[in-house]
Amino acid sequence: MSSDFYTSSVLPYAAIIIKICRAYTNTQVDFEDYYQEVCLQIWKSKDNFRGESEWATWIYRLSLNVCLTLLKKKKSSNQYFASDALTEEAIEDSRDFTDESLNLLYDAIRQLSEVDRGVILLYLEEKSYQEIADIIGTNPNNIGVRIKRIKGRLQKILHGKIN
Amino acid sequence: MERSIETIWKEGFLKGDAVIAPKLNNLYNQKSIHLIDKFKRMFKINLNAIVIGAVLFLIISFFIKIPIMGIGFFVILSVVVIVNRKLLKGLDRIDKSDNSYHYLLKFDHWMKEQLAVNKKMARVYYPLFFLSTVLGFWYSNFRGKTLGEKVVDELTIYFSDLFLLFGIPISGLVLIVIVAGLLAIFGNKIYSWDVNLIYGRVFSKLDEIISDMEELRK
Repeated sequence: MSSDFYTSSVLPYAAIIIKICRAYTNTQVDFEDYYQEVCLQIWKSKDNFRGESEWATWIYRLSLNVCLTLLKKKKSSNQYFASDALTEEAIEDSRDFTDESLNLLYDAIRQLSEVDRGVILLYLEEKSYQEIADIIGTNPNNIGVRIKRIKGRLQKILHGKIN
Repeated sequence: MERSIETIWKEGFLKGDAVIAPKLNNLYNQKSIHLIDKFKRMFKINLNAIVIGAVLFLIISFFIKIPIMGIGFFVILSVVVIVNRKLLKGLDRIDKSDNSYHYLLKFDHWMKEQLAVNKKMARVYYPLFFLSTVLGFWYSNFRGKTLGEKVVDELTIYFSDLFLLFGIPISGLVLIVIVAGLLAIFGNKIYSWDVNLIYGRVFSKLDEIISDMEELRK
């Protein structure tokens, strides 16, 4: 990737990529690998950007798709998804933010299904139901109901942990 | 009072350290860990290995006087390579920036299509490999005679009433047909077992995500 492309077209949107990659990984090493891979795929797929959506929306879509289909290799040679269920050890490893509440919120988000993680991230990024449906490829009418259900679940997980 | 998740999110990301991008390491030369890129890589490596193996075996087979086996293997493997090269092109048509549902669905379709095609082929090529091996040895040159003729000569010493068809004992032919038949029946299962061992987790994960998305599409 040319450093010009990264600086001008990717870095200004790094926050989007970071937020998504954090939700689909449990450890710092996995997070850094995912971030790197998303940047690589943005560069490789940039010619597919036809301007039908905003560049930021396109990055959301691509980052989400890449995170849904990344495989890592364990030392034992088995392949696994970094978004797979958390172990206690991984929970400890995944606390990366100085804001403890944000860490707890991410811990809770990581307990959701892959699709729910995508939906709630886009909701928290203040995307409209239509935009969320367009990015994920679903029906906007169901997004509201799903968000309500996800929020309920997150509140239940976080209950008593956050002031 | 507990803060809402929206407030936690906003306030958490207002702190500068929350969105510091990791350093990129030699990105351009990194091996991609993306599933599609991994498949492409794996397919290319496998197909190149098959081509090299088939050509080498073809040459060696002439030297060790089992050319029928060498030619048989070469023809079968060439078909496998041609078909899979065509399948591989399908992966290039998957747009990673499509919406998530279409992207996953296209990838899932590709996986299932390549699996179905290879399963069908396995039912044909497993028996053909076996037949090529048997014919290769049967017609291999053994001190001026074929190995088959030598075997028949030996057998007729003990079984004078041996019934032959095309110069091959009927009992041997029946055995060959049974083994080839079993390979045709179980060829697809052997292939599925092999693929599931490596990619079973990927298949189930994709199914899980797609069915969750389909629920949202209803």
